[in-house]
Amino acid sequence: MNEVEKKRSRAMVCPECGSTDLIRDYEAGEIVCERCGYVISTILFDTGPEWRAFDEEQREKRTRVGAPLTWTIHDKGLSTVIDWHDSDIYGRKLKPKQKARIYRLRKWHRRSKVSGATERNLAYALSELTKVAYKLNLPKNVLETASVIYRQVVRKRLIRGRSIQGVAAASIYMACRQCNVIRTLEEVAKASNTSKKEGGRNYRFLLRNLNTKVLPVNPNNYVSKFISQLSLSGNAESLAIKIIKIASELKLTSGRGPAGVAAAATYIASLLTDERRTQGEIAKGAHVTEVTIRNRYKELIQKLYIKVKL
Amino acid sequence: MPKRKVVINIENVVASATLDQKIDLSAIMKVFRNVEYRPKQFPGLVFRLKRPKTATLIFASGKMVCTGSKSEQQARSAVKKVVRELQNNGIIILSKPKIVIQNIVASANLGGSIDLEEAVRRMENVMYEPEQFPGLIYRMEDPKVVMLLFASGKLVCTGAKNEQMVREAVEKLHKMLEEEGLIYYE
Repeated sequence: MNEVEKKRSRAMVCPECGSTDLIRDYEAGEIVCERCGYVISTILFDTGPEWRAFDEEQREKRTRVGAPLTWTIHDKGLSTVIDWHDSDIYGRKLKPKQKARIYRLRKWHRRSKVSGATERNLAYALSELTKVAYKLNLPKNVLETASVIYRQVVRKRLIRGRSIQGVAAASIYMACRQCNVIRTLEEVAKASNTSKKEGGRNYRFLLRNLNTKVLPVNPNNYVSKFISQLSLSGNAESLAIKIIKIASELKLTSGRGPAGVAAAATYIASLLTDERRTQGEIAKGAHVTEVTIRNRYKELIQKLYIKVKL
Repeated sequence: MPKRKVVINIENVVASATLDQKIDLSAIMKVFRNVEYRPKQFPGLVFRLKRPKTATLIFASGKMVCTGSKSEQQARSAVKKVVRELQNNGIIILSKPKIVIQNIVASANLGGSIDLEEAVRRMENVMYEPEQFPGLIYRMEDPKVVMLLFASGKLVCTGAKNEQMVREAVEKLHKMLEEEGLIYYE
């Protein structure tokens, strides 16, 4: 046994009553015996990290100060600004000469925050991402994820020859998929002013080049969305989910778009629970055509032996 | 498990060839009536053959691209036939063309249904986005081909350089699907 361990094992026993149940009170900085209350030591070092971290990456960096970082701003929200009050540290008004100087400084400070074309593009793209995320009512974590994805793309120099809008749409869509937030590609593409084709192309490109694997969406995730869109009952929802479960066991979902399957299941559920919605209504919310719903519907009722009264 | 024989069908073979000499395309244009040559639109001349049914692009640099044939053999003979036709009609060709097969596209039917959703979980280098395309895209490392797999058990294989590669790839894939239990027969 070496020296350090010996010392430690001696300190682990209360010298008064011999108990080994000691409490380390980090707030008071004491080691106290739990049995007799004897204070063994009043200088207890906090052996925890002296840095703060809010996520894995910061934990790695071990930074000691600063506000939480955000990936949605090109400088991660760490820059300073010269404010517009025109007063000094004591609150006195600046002299006109100083005022002009500060005005100039402020201007150049703002301009120099973004240096170089790459960073300017990044700043523009990130503000674009934020805009799209707000349009789609996405939660903050999705926006952060999308920003991280976009930064990865920039770092790997994959943007070349692609439009910012297109890659932005692809990053948002990918982030949605990773965070299990259900948005169809159409919705994302529309919000970012690109076509579904462009967005899809870029999304596939990112998938290939970022070495990420995204599993296909489970149709169940769509169901709850459709149910609330059409204000159907919980009964219908559980029924639709049951239909999808059986369908996927029968391999009816393989090679079929999840939105279409979910829409058809919702349609059948609405019929069975007597809350009939038309195929057109469902198709509109689901961004699939009525024909798709009809085809999936036929497949499902045939293979699941569901009898529907029309 | 009734295992049917896999039928592979070669759909298209693309071959490139070079003659190592400059060719006067407008001269060909004058001699032949069934060729297309619009230098403003596309710098190559399109030479279509009835048999084998192929289209050969001829460029002024003496390079050619032959598309549309159904086998390696056919692609080679198509290029040779085009060169012979040129010679017979007074275009001077100095040497034999050097032919290289660039790409083979083949389709096949594995005879069973594939569970694409399970496949995307188990396999590497795959992409399956049912919202965008109903097929699963599989990039095989060796032999280096790309395959599109469909739920019906049919597939398309592209990027092969020879017919052997196609057979190898399809066999390898079929074996893997069966081992992983991703394919099932009715």
